[in-house]
This record gives sequence, structure tokens and C-alpha cells, in this order.
Amino acid sequence: MTLLEVPAPPRLSAPAAVTIPWWRRVARAAPPYLFLAPGLALLVVWTYRPLVSAVQLSFYSWNLLPTSPARPVGFDNFGRLFALPDFGASIGRTAVLILGLLPFTLVVPVVVGLLARHVRGRAATVYQALVFAPMLVAPVAGAAVWQWMLDPRAGLVNRVLGTTTNWLQEPGSAQLAVIVITGWHVLGFATLVVAAGLAGIDSEYSAAASLDGATRWQTTRWLTLPLLSPTLSFLLLMTLLLAAQWSFPLINTITHGGPSGATTNIYFLLWDYAFGSFDAGLGAAAGLVFFLGFGLIALVLVRLTERLSFHDS
Amino acid sequence: MTPELLVEVPGPVHAPSDGAVVLRESRLRAALGHVVLGLLGVACIIPLYWLYATSLRAPENIYSLSPFPWPLSVANYVEAWGAVNLPRLLVNTFVMAAMVALGQLLTGLLAGYAFAAWRFRFQNALYLVFIATWLVPFQVTMVPNYALLNQLGVLNTIAGAIIPNLCTALAVIMLRTHVRSIPQELLEAARMDGRNAWATLWTVVVPNLGPALAALGVLLFINAWNEYFWPALVLQRTNDVLQLALHSFIGPEGTQWGPLMATAGLACLPVLILYLVLQRRIVDGFVRSGLK
Repeated sequence: MTLLEVPAPPRLSAPAAVTIPWWRRVARAAPPYLFLAPGLALLVVWTYRPLVSAVQLSFYSWNLLPTSPARPVGFDNFGRLFALPDFGASIGRTAVLILGLLPFTLVVPVVVGLLARHVRGRAATVYQALVFAPMLVAPVAGAAVWQWMLDPRAGLVNRVLGTTTNWLQEPGSAQLAVIVITGWHVLGFATLVVAAGLAGIDSEYSAAASLDGATRWQTTRWLTLPLLSPTLSFLLLMTLLLAAQWSFPLINTITHGGPSGATTNIYFLLWDYAFGSFDAGLGAAAGLVFFLGFGLIALVLVRLTERLSFHDS
Repeated sequence: MTPELLVEVPGPVHAPSDGAVVLRESRLRAALGHVVLGLLGVACIIPLYWLYATSLRAPENIYSLSPFPWPLSVANYVEAWGAVNLPRLLVNTFVMAAMVALGQLLTGLLAGYAFAAWRFRFQNALYLVFIATWLVPFQVTMVPNYALLNQLGVLNTIAGAIIPNLCTALAVIMLRTHVRSIPQELLEAARMDGRNAWATLWTVVVPNLGPALAALGVLLFINAWNEYFWPALVLQRTNDVLQLALHSFIGPEGTQWGPLMATAGLACLPVLILYLVLQRRIVDGFVRSGLK
């Protein structure tokens, strides 16, 4: 199947053929590495080199100014980080954000996906287009229109509901707004992923189950959902890893982490450490802690999925 | 609890009435599906509709709640045109998104071809090097990358927003799958013809991947067009792309909602048009790749 599996030239005189010149061996093995080179070079320069620098930076105190030298401080940054109340609070808020997003990335897409199986034809395409559209809206443009709709005096939401809530200026409602707006953005994607997962399940299974007298609910609970579990765990993993990332442009545009820090999640905290308080060492230390934490979560979840998933063999 | 559906037909005597029940049941379910999906679709589209509705109202009607903006007015667009250099922003954003998409497509194609057409030492480890980039968040690498861009002297230029994003694991993974799906006989035949790997890539692989490359290109373009993190960091001083220009209308003395909605509408328009034209292809490709 590969271009490398070219049968070697027939070894007529055995001892002579063993010593293929080194440059010919290199030339023959080189192509795949050459094709990989541009991509690898970019990743090394823009992802892995900075990752290593971030490790180094986390042991220094530096204010990001090229003129002022970075001072080595050992583990001080990590010590300071864990002593800061902001740090723990931002992790707690990120957990709230993740929990708040699960209805948008798991519950609603599954319900919609199950219902959508009974809807066919042109209408189905239209619904799909409508639900998916917010995914394509630029995050900043989405943030702008939601800010307009949530405006306390002139906004659509307050005037339709007849309320006077200042949604983005009160801690509880600001966090709620961030969750709903982020959920609005990702709902279409999750719905599409679930639809693809459902389309991949062989309909013969449920036909067989109903022949055996299973009710619709039983079929869904004991057959469809278990078969859908790889899709669901993929969505769960994405929500865990990316929830804070998805809401970042929104927070950076309309709440700036406020009011009084109520919407400062871990990634906004990193941003603030580096470019708000110009404490590069602290930002790097926090970044590494989050990177390792998420790596661990991803590993555990992937392992769990492999063990618990119910596979269609 | 909904009444249960009997598919098991007990006997010929009951068959007609059971058939009617089954039919009514499935109609009911379809109706329920239409209602729920319809409501959800409308709820999802309201903010987008309100964005364009506001942008088309006359300035004195900006606070109006009427569902249809009437009389239509382009005053907000005119005002936005006066406040920021819209043509320049559109061109800059387009150049940035197109360059990023093309670069990602090219590096992805080369790497995907290498992973699909050869078996070589460290193959799995190298593949992992690509995938693992998904775990490294932008906020961890941003300070060192910012410093490097500063040294290269490309801060506050469009090039600075493009260069760090020229390779993405997504393109490598998808193109590896696509190259694998090309019949091996075709690659073999090219080799028999005495064409080298480079010529095979451009004369056999690329022509066979036309639609897949186009679909992936559109996806990468949309992602790059909507990108916010890097431009926000790199173009802090110039705000030279549409996504960042929105900030010009949000000030301490109040937000100019009309021009803000007009600019936001323009920032979304190219992507929405692409989606309207290519919706079937994008969604179909997605669902089919999920099936495999």
C-alpha cells in the first residue's frame, strides 16, 4: 500500500548488495519526512517552543517589557498562584460554566436529535440551517448583538419581559448571560454531531427490539443511548476542555471578567495576569497548571470512555 | 408517558385498526418534532434577525420594537462607513482569512499525504505531535509567541496575525483520511509511470480530492474569518480587521447601537452567504465523515 514498499533490487551478489550507500538509503526514506517538514516546523516554532518557554517563564518574574530583565524566582510564582483567592474562584466559576453548558451541548441536542428522526424532507433542512447558523456568527458580532438585546433600558429582552434587570452588571445574571450566549453559539454544532451519531446507528437494532416487544422509551434508554455513548463522551470531553475557551471572546468583549470578577474564568484570568497586570511569570505558571489539569482530565475521560463505552461490534 | 407503539401485529383481525394507530402515532410524533424543532430554530435565529433588523432601522427608530424595520434605511451603514475604513477592513479580514485557510490547507495536504501514503519510522509519534497541539491552549503560548512576533517586527501587521496560524491539526487529520480513501491503484499507476512523489501529489492526489479540499477550505476560511484571539492580541494598536473594529462603536460615553449592528452585520455576511450557498455540502460532508 505504501510507496516505500518497493521490492528491493534483486540481490544477485549477496555481500556487495548489503552495503547500499548511505546516501541512497537516506534519499529513499526521506520523502515522508520532507512532506511533514513544513507543518512540523510551524508547530515547533508556534506551539512547542512557546510551551517550553512558558515552563521557563513560570520560574521567572518578568513584566513583559523588553528592556527590563527577567528575574529568576524559583517556585514563587506557583506559591503565589495557589495563595491567590482569584485562582480558586476562577476554577469554581469555570466549573459552573461547564455545568451550565451541558444542557446546550448534551441534553438539548439529544432530545432534538431523537425528535428530528421523525421529521423528514425540506423542513428538516430548514430547521438544521436555523439551529446551525449561530455557530457561524463571529463571536464578537454575537457578543455585540446580545449586549444590545440585554441593554437594561432599550434592550429587546427587558422590554419583552417587562423587567428592568441590568443583566450584565449583576454577578448572577452576568454569569447566566455568558452561559446562555455561549450555549447559543455551540448548540448547532452539538446538534449536528448528535445527528451524525444517530445516523450511524443501524436502524435494524431498534426494529429488532420493537419486534421483541420493547417500548419506544425502552429502546431509546437501553439501545439508542448506549450506542450513542461514544458521541456523547466526545461532546462531554469537548465541553470540559473548551467551555472556558468558547466563552473567552464574549467575556473579553462585554463583561471584561466583571462585575467584580463574577465572569472571570480560568482563561480570562490568564489573559488578565499577562496583559492586564503584566505579570508574565504568574500567567505562565497558571497556564501550565491548567494545561496539566486539562491533560489529566482528558486522559481520565478517554480511558473511562474506552472502558465503559458500549460498542456496536 | 406517551402510549406505546405496537408493531407486533397479533392477528389478521386487528390489523386494520392497528395500522391506523401506527399511522396516527407517527403523525403525532412528526408534528411534535416540527413544533419543537421549529421553536428551537426560531429561538436560535432571533438574535441574528435582530442584528440585521436593527442595522436597517432609521436612526430615530433605533429603539423601536416592531418586528419589521420600516421604513428601511441604510443610515447606520453610512455612519459606520464614515467612522471606520470599511473597505480596508473587509480587504484585510479577507486577506487574513484566505491566507490562513490556504496555508493550513497546504501544510495539511503535505502532512496528510505523508501519513497516508508511506509507512515510516516514528510515524505514530509524529502523528501524536500534531494531535497534541489541541491540548495546548492559546493562553499558554501567547506570551512567548507575542515576544517572538515582536522580535520579528510584525506586531500590529496582518502578517503577524497570519504566520502563527499556518498549520492546524484539523486539516492534517481530515486530509489524511481523504488521501487514504484514494484507491491505491491510482498511486501505484503513477509510480509505474515513473512519476516521483511530488508529481504524484499534484497530478493524482489533488485532482481526486477536489470537492473535499474545497469543503475543508471553506471550513478553515470561516474559522479564520471569525478568529478573535490572535488578531486581538497582535493588532492591539491598529484594530485592522472587522472583528476588532467593532470596539470603535463601544465607548465610555455610550454605545452607538446602529453603526455597531451595521458593522457586526457586515462582519457576519460573507460567512452566512457561503453557508447559504454551500449548506448541503458542508452538512453532508460532516454527517458522512461522522458515519465512517
